Amino acid sequence: MNNKSETTAEQKKAKKDVSLSRRELLIGAAATAATFSLSQSTEASESKQQNWLSPRSLQQGDKKQARTILSVCLSCNSRCGVKATVEGGVLKEISGNPYHPYNHMVTPEEYSTPIEQALSKPSPVCGKAHDCTGSVYDPYRITQPLKRCGSRGEGKFEPINWDQLIQEVCEGGKLFTHLGEKRHVPGLAELASDEPVAADAPELGSVRNSFVFMTGRLQTGRKAIINRFVKDAMGSINRVGHTDICGIGFRMGNFAMSEKKQWEFKANPWESEYILVFGANIYEALQPGINTYGAAIAKRLADGKLQVVIVDPRAQNASVHANDWLPVKPGQDGALAMGMLRWIIDNNAFNREYLEAPCPSAAEKIDHCCYANATHLVIVAPDSERHHTFLRQKDIASTGSKNKDECYMVFDPVTKQPVPFDSLDSAVLERELSVTLRDGEKVLVKTSFQLLREAVMVNTMEEYAGFCGIPAEKITRTARAFSSHGTKAAVCQYHGAGNYPGGTYAAYAVSLLNVMTGSIEVRSGYLSSGGKAVAWNKGVYDLKTFPGRRKASGTPISRAKTVYEKSSEYQFKKEQTGTGYPAQRPWFSFTKGGLSVETMNGIDAAYPYQCKVLFHYFYNPVYSTPGGYRYKKTLADTQRVPLYVSIDTTVNESNIFADYIVPDVTWAEGHYGWIHPHAPACRFTALRTPIIEPLTGRNKEGNPFCLETFLIDLALRMNLAGFGENVIKDNSGKLYPLLKAEDFYLRGFVNIVANAKLPDASISEQQFVEDNYPVAKFKNILPEAQWKPLCHALARGGIFPPYQDQFLGERFNRGIKRAVLFNEEMAAARNSLTGQRYSGTVFYQPPADSTGEALEVQDRDFPFQIVTHKMNVHTQSRTINHRAALEIFPENHIVMHLDDARTIGIKDGGQVQLISRSMPQGITGKVRTTKNIRTGCLAISFHYGHIYHGASQIEVRNGESVFLGGSKVISGNFLIPDPRRGKGLNSNDVSRLDHHLDNLPLIDIQAGIPDFSSTRVRVIPA
Amino acid sequence: MKGRRGFLAGSSVLALGLMSRKSLLAAQKQNKTVRWAMIINLNRCLGCQSCVVACKNRHHTTRDQFLTKILIREKKHDSDPELLFVPVQCNQCENPPCVAVCPNKATFQLNNGVVVNDWSKCNGCGKCVEACPYDARFLDPSHGNKVDKCDFCMDRLAEKNIPSCVEACSSGARLFGNINAAKGEFAGMLRNSRRTVRDPRQTKKAAVTYIPHVKTGKIP
Repeated sequence: MNNKSETTAEQKKAKKDVSLSRRELLIGAAATAATFSLSQSTEASESKQQNWLSPRSLQQGDKKQARTILSVCLSCNSRCGVKATVEGGVLKEISGNPYHPYNHMVTPEEYSTPIEQALSKPSPVCGKAHDCTGSVYDPYRITQPLKRCGSRGEGKFEPINWDQLIQEVCEGGKLFTHLGEKRHVPGLAELASDEPVAADAPELGSVRNSFVFMTGRLQTGRKAIINRFVKDAMGSINRVGHTDICGIGFRMGNFAMSEKKQWEFKANPWESEYILVFGANIYEALQPGINTYGAAIAKRLADGKLQVVIVDPRAQNASVHANDWLPVKPGQDGALAMGMLRWIIDNNAFNREYLEAPCPSAAEKIDHCCYANATHLVIVAPDSERHHTFLRQKDIASTGSKNKDECYMVFDPVTKQPVPFDSLDSAVLERELSVTLRDGEKVLVKTSFQLLREAVMVNTMEEYAGFCGIPAEKITRTARAFSSHGTKAAVCQYHGAGNYPGGTYAAYAVSLLNVMTGSIEVRSGYLSSGGKAVAWNKGVYDLKTFPGRRKASGTPISRAKTVYEKSSEYQFKKEQTGTGYPAQRPWFSFTKGGLSVETMNGIDAAYPYQCKVLFHYFYNPVYSTPGGYRYKKTLADTQRVPLYVSIDTTVNESNIFADYIVPDVTWAEGHYGWIHPHAPACRFTALRTPIIEPLTGRNKEGNPFCLETFLIDLALRMNLAGFGENVIKDNSGKLYPLLKAEDFYLRGFVNIVANAKLPDASISEQQFVEDNYPVAKFKNILPEAQWKPLCHALARGGIFPPYQDQFLGERFNRGIKRAVLFNEEMAAARNSLTGQRYSGTVFYQPPADSTGEALEVQDRDFPFQIVTHKMNVHTQSRTINHRAALEIFPENHIVMHLDDARTIGIKDGGQVQLISRSMPQGITGKVRTTKNIRTGCLAISFHYGHIYHGASQIEVRNGESVFLGGSKVISGNFLIPDPRRGKGLNSNDVSRLDHHLDNLPLIDIQAGIPDFSSTRVRVIPA
Repeated sequence: MKGRRGFLAGSSVLALGLMSRKSLLAAQKQNKTVRWAMIINLNRCLGCQSCVVACKNRHHTTRDQFLTKILIREKKHDSDPELLFVPVQCNQCENPPCVAVCPNKATFQLNNGVVVNDWSKCNGCGKCVEACPYDARFLDPSHGNKVDKCDFCMDRLAEKNIPSCVEACSSGARLFGNINAAKGEFAGMLRNSRRTVRDPRQTKKAAVTYIPHVKTGKIP
C-alpha cells in the first residue's frame, strides 16, 4: 500500500520536475556538457558514436528521474555527510556531502558556495555508507507491529493492528491468557504513579522509575524526543544509553583527566606529527570514521608528514603503513602507559614550562588554553577527613571572599610558602612539605605531580615491561620518540584502551601522556571536539520545557552517578554490621554513565528495584554485550521483565524474547537529527532528514510506524504532558502541537538555523529542497520566513563552520581549560563493595573481577585471551544485511598467531572450539593464522555469528504482510532464512561472567566498564 | 554554469581527472586524444573497501563478482609481520591479450585506452576470461553469461564524473585523469619514477599503474 502511494508521489514529482531549475540542478552533468563545446567533440562524441552495447546500460536499467538529498549517514555513528541519489522513489546511490568536513579532510566546499556548483564535486564516503541500501531494503525488515504468540524466545509472532499495540502497551492486562499465561501484565499507564518504587528506600524514586527505556544506536534528534517521553513526560530516570559497550573505558581516562568536562579526545589527524594509537582501530572503525580519520592518516603517512605507532594486541590494518607496532597484552595498556610516564619523568622529558604554569593566565602566556594542575598541593593525611583533597586558601587563612577561599594552593619558589594558584606564572612542580592548617591540624601536602611521580615509581620499567609484554627498550624508544615531538605528538586512544575492569586508570595514564608533553588542546596535539554549531532546543521554539513537565529523580537502576553511602541499603547495613559494605551490587559515583550492562544486570537482579516495563530501542544486548548470552535468561523471565517492548527494524537475538516488536524506519526514511562531531577540533551541526518515504505501514493519521509515532500515540492515549495540541511555545507565546515527528524536528531545525543566523536560501536552493527532499512536504508546519533559511541549511546537509576558525594560533578555542594529574572527586569516591577509597591519580592494576583477584590468575588454565574488533565494512550488530559486505567478507574467523597454531596443531581454515570458564559449551569457528597478532591472543571481529536477523527460521502469522521481502522470504507462516547471515561466530557468546556477582556479565566496580579484553579460553580442535 | 567550471579548475584533490576547458583546449590544439589512466598509490590505500562497495553498488555486478577488488596480502613465514592492500581491476592493458582471443570482436579497445565489451556481440564463450592474466574478467549469469570487467565507469565519464572507485577513495590512493592533459597531483604522480604496471612480466604498458608500497617495495 505504501509502495503504491510512494510511486504515485514520485510520478507526480516526475511531472512537476520538468521545471527549469530542476533540470539545471540535477541533470547538471549533461547540461554542463552542453556548455563545453570542446568536450563534446572529444569524449562525448566517442560515446555518441558508440554503436556497441555496454554492460553498464543493462546493469543499471533505464534511468529514471532522479532526486538528490544531502543528509547524514547512520551506517555507523561516525556522522559523515551523504549525498543520496533516489530514482523512482528508490535509494540508488550514496556519495559524500561536498560541504561536510568529514568527507573532505576538513577542507570541504566553502559554505557560501551555491548548491548548484557544489553538487558535481566528487565527494567520498566509506563503504558502509555505500552499502546502506542493504539495510534499507532488507527483505527481513518488519513493517507491521508484532505480538508474541508463543512463549518468550520461542520465535512465534503475529502482526497486530497499531491501535491494539498502543492500547495493550498503555493499559496492560491479561494480555497473554490465550497462551496460558494467567499473569497480569503491567501497562505503561500503571507506572505513571508517584508512589515510591521501594517503600523502605525513598532515594530510589517513584514507581515511574520501573519504566526502563534502553537505547542502542541513538543520536541527537531522536534522543531529544525519547528523553521528552521517558524523563519529562513519564518521569522515569531510566533512559539509558550504551556508552559502556560503546567504549566507556578510554572515556573514563579522559573523564578523570578533564574533571568530567570531556571524555572524547584524539590526536589531530590533520596536523599532528606523531600519533600513538592505543586500541583505536583507525583504518577500520573509529569515530570519526575511516574516510575521515583513517584516510587522513594514510595520506599524511604516505606523504611523509606523520609517524604512527600502533599499540594493540592485533597489528590491525593500519600496520600496513604504521612505523611501529607494540603488541601489548590485552588489558595492559595502563602498564605500558605507566612505563612511558616513568621514562618521561625519569628523563626529564616532560614539558616542564607547561606543567609549572599553575593557572589559566600563566598557561595563556606560553600559548596554552588548557593548564594542568601539576603544581597544585594535595593533602596527604591518611587518617584525616581531608586526606587526598586539595589544599585551599581557606585551609590556611580565610580571606573573606568565598571565591578566593576556594583557591587551590601552590608552592611559591621565591617565598617558599603556599600561595594561591592564580598568583604566580610558575610554581614548584615537585615538593612535599608540612603545613599547619587554620584549625591547628598539621598535615603533609604534596604537589599533584609529586603524587603522580610516586604512583609511577611503584614499579620499575622492567616490571611494567613484564605486565604489558613489551620489552623495556621498546617502551623507552616509544616514550623518547613521543616526547621528542613535544606538543605535536598525541595519543589516539579508543575502545581498546581501557575497555576492561580497572580501565579508568589505564586510560587515565594514557591520557596523561598528552598532559606531560603539553599537547592537550593544542592545535597539533590531543584535542576534544568543537561540539555543536548552535543550540537546537531554544531560540524560536521552546523544545525543552512545557507545562506539566516532570523532573525525573531517584536512583537509576544501573546506579550510575549515585553515591552508595547515601542509600537506605548502606544505612541499614551500617546499623546491622557497622560498615555498610558490601552493597548487593556495585554503585558508581564516579562514572561517565550510559551503563547499559549494569542496567541489564540490575534488571536481572531486580536491584535496587524491579523493572516493570522494558523498552529497547535499536538495541540488541544479547548479541552486542560481552556475555550477553546471559540475558536470554533475563529476557525470557516474565517476573524479571513483565512487559518487554522492542522498537527495531528486524527480529534479532534480543527481541526474539519481546512481547511486542514495533517496526521502525531506517535512517534513510527517518531518524531526523541534528548531529555533532566527535572529531578533534571539528564543530558542526549536520542535519539529517529523510531520503525516501517510509517503508513501514501507517497509522490512521497517516504517520509511519516508527519510534516517534509510537511514542506520540502512547503519550496521546495516556494524556501525557508535552505531547498533543498546544505543547510547543514560540517566542511570542503562541502554542503549537506535537502530533507527529515533524512537529518537533522541524522546529528544532528552525532553532538551529535561527541561532546560526543563516540567510534565506536562494530561490534555486529553496526550489532544490522543495523538489528533492521528502521533508519539504511538511514545510507548511513552518511560516515561510522560517522555511527559507532552513532550506539554506537543508540544501547543504547542515551547518559547517570552518575547521580553521576553531583555533587561535596554536590554541584550540573550544577545548577544556584544566587538566588534572590528581582528581579530587575520584579520590573521594569509595568502592561500594569494600568501602576502600579510590586513587586520585594513576596506578597500575591488572583487570580483576568483583573480588579484586586478577582474571589472568583466576583463569590461568585457559591459555588464550580473546580480543575483538570491528571491520571496515560493518557496524556492530546491524549490518549483516549489507550486501557487498557479505560478499567481500562472507564470514569472520578466529585469528590466531601462526606459532600458536603450529603448537596446537591447527591449520589455517581449521575448525576449533573455544571454551571459557563461564561458557563450557563454548563456541566454534574457523581459524585464520597470521603473524599480525600477539601470541597467546585470539582476535575475533564482531558482526557475524547471528542467530536471528534473517539467519534462522521464525514463525510469523501472515508473514507476507509483515516482512519487506513479502513472499520472497515467507513460506506459509515461516520465514525462509538466508544461511549467509548465520555464518561465523560471535565472541560475546563465550565471554567471562562474574561468578561472584550473580553470574552476570563482568563489569568494572568503579565506573561500570564492561569487559571486552579479559576472556580467556581453551582452544580445542573440532 | 560558470560556477561549475570555476570549481573544476580549482579543485585539485579529487577531481584530478576532470579536464578543465583550458586543458581540453590544449589537448585539442596538440591534436591529442584523451587517454584515461589510473594511478594506484599503495602507500595511501588503507584497505577500507569503499571503492569496492561503491563500484558494486553502482554496477550491480552479479553476486560474488567484482569489477574491482582489494587483495589482502599477508606475509606469514618471515619474522616481520607484513600486510599489504592492493586494489586490483582490469589494467586496461595497451596490448590486451583478452582482445586478441575474442572470436566475435566483442571486446576491443577504445581510442581512449579503455578496453570494453559489446554485449550485443558477446556469446559468453569465456576465452577472454581465460586469457586475462589478472583474473579481471568474469561471466555474468544474471545477464546471459556475458563477460564483464571494469571499464573505468565509461557511463560516468560520459557525464563528466570520475569513476565510482576514484570518487569513493578518501585518502587519494586512486588518482585518475587524462595523461594527455594531466595536471595537479595526478600529473606529479605520472612523473613518479617508481610508478610501474602491476606485473611487468605480463604487461608492458597499461592504463592502470601503481606506486609500490614503500615499506615492502611490493605490488604482489
